[in-house]
Amino acid sequence: MNETTTHVQSSQTLLKSTFAAALLAAMVLVTIILPAEYNIDPTGIGQRIGLTKLANVTVVPPVQTEMVAIDNTALSQPAEQRSDSVTIEIPGGKGLEYKFQLGKHAELDYEWTTGGVPIYFDFHGEPQGDTTGYFKSFSISTANQMQGSLLTPFAGSHGWYWRNDSPIPVTITLKTSGHYEIIGLKK
Amino acid sequence: MYRPIVNPPALLRYLPVLVALLFSGTACAHGVDDATRNFLTGNEGAAIVPFLYIGAKHMVTGYDHLLFLLGVIFFLYRPRDILIYVSFFTLGHSLTLLFGVLNNIQVNAYLIDAIIGLSIVYKGFDNLGGFQRWCGFQPNTKAAVLLFGLFHGFGLATKLQEFQFDQNGLLENLLAFNVGVELGQFLALIFILLLISFWRRHKSFFSFSTLTNTLLMSAGMMLMGYQLTGYFAA
Repeated sequence: MNETTTHVQSSQTLLKSTFAAALLAAMVLVTIILPAEYNIDPTGIGQRIGLTKLANVTVVPPVQTEMVAIDNTALSQPAEQRSDSVTIEIPGGKGLEYKFQLGKHAELDYEWTTGGVPIYFDFHGEPQGDTTGYFKSFSISTANQMQGSLLTPFAGSHGWYWRNDSPIPVTITLKTSGHYEIIGLKK
Repeated sequence: MYRPIVNPPALLRYLPVLVALLFSGTACAHGVDDATRNFLTGNEGAAIVPFLYIGAKHMVTGYDHLLFLLGVIFFLYRPRDILIYVSFFTLGHSLTLLFGVLNNIQVNAYLIDAIIGLSIVYKGFDNLGGFQRWCGFQPNTKAAVLLFGLFHGFGLATKLQEFQFDQNGLLENLLAFNVGVELGQFLALIFILLLISFWRRHKSFFSFSTLTNTLLMSAGMMLMGYQLTGYFAA
């Protein structure tokens, strides 16, 4: 009883099919799957068509749960709605901070990119008037870009610490909008 | 020349229901993954229906399992044969799913998924008659389906264990998940059969069967490359 009606192909067809299957698989893997999944991009095509972005972003949404005892609501007056864009150069092997002053439960919309190179960052806030050195990290990761919206858990300075572990300077373009005052760079 | 596996008009009558079922699952698929994760890690005790659902969803959305099934039934024409082969697959993956989870056996997910990719390559090659042509014999197709079924089951077990869910009601939940997997497989199989039996009415099925199995092999190779890279990169 022949239960599987298999169609036995000629050796030539088999060879062609196997070779074509392997070639197609290799091409799709190298140019699409590996760049998108693992940021492994030997041909540079993944970067060019923007697929490596998928693998680079490991952004954790900001956490807005923990409340701190220090709560200087009185000190934080609502600032004007504004939008800013700034470029920050981080020299090789150095780290620096860029901060904004925000009130409690204020919203900060942000978007930054290095233009490709992944960089270590710590997105955090420090409560206003605190002298203990307490800070709360919203997200710590390595990425070449990040975007989102922060709802501040307390009044104080909020922003990013970036650390450039490579010897080459990295330039970050940061765009923000919301009700805040710019504190700016801190080394 | 062929006999339709199912009577298409009869199936067509149920199509709207099936489509509705499918979309009810996929419409919110993006949020469901996180929700599923939260549910599994937070769950205590037996929860039959949710586990049924998770199992079914895993199968319906699991393209690796579906590609293998497509390969298995590609040249199966008679309902009896389909039933036999799918039963071997079910037996295989149920054994290792239950055994793997109950004995807490963790197999590297990348390696298992790479073997699942290999199973697809194997079946595509087998459908082209590769073994008969080059090896001079046909490996037992039922044994192969059973064997690869065992590996697919370890894949299911590994996925389920990633969630580290509560041990209370483990057996009930596991069985529910397993039954869900079979339900999902059944649902997916109906779709595959429906499409393939329509396609078999046309000449293009035979002209494109070599191409289809070549693409099946290629898809299996992509899965292997993807998973093996993950194994070595991680």
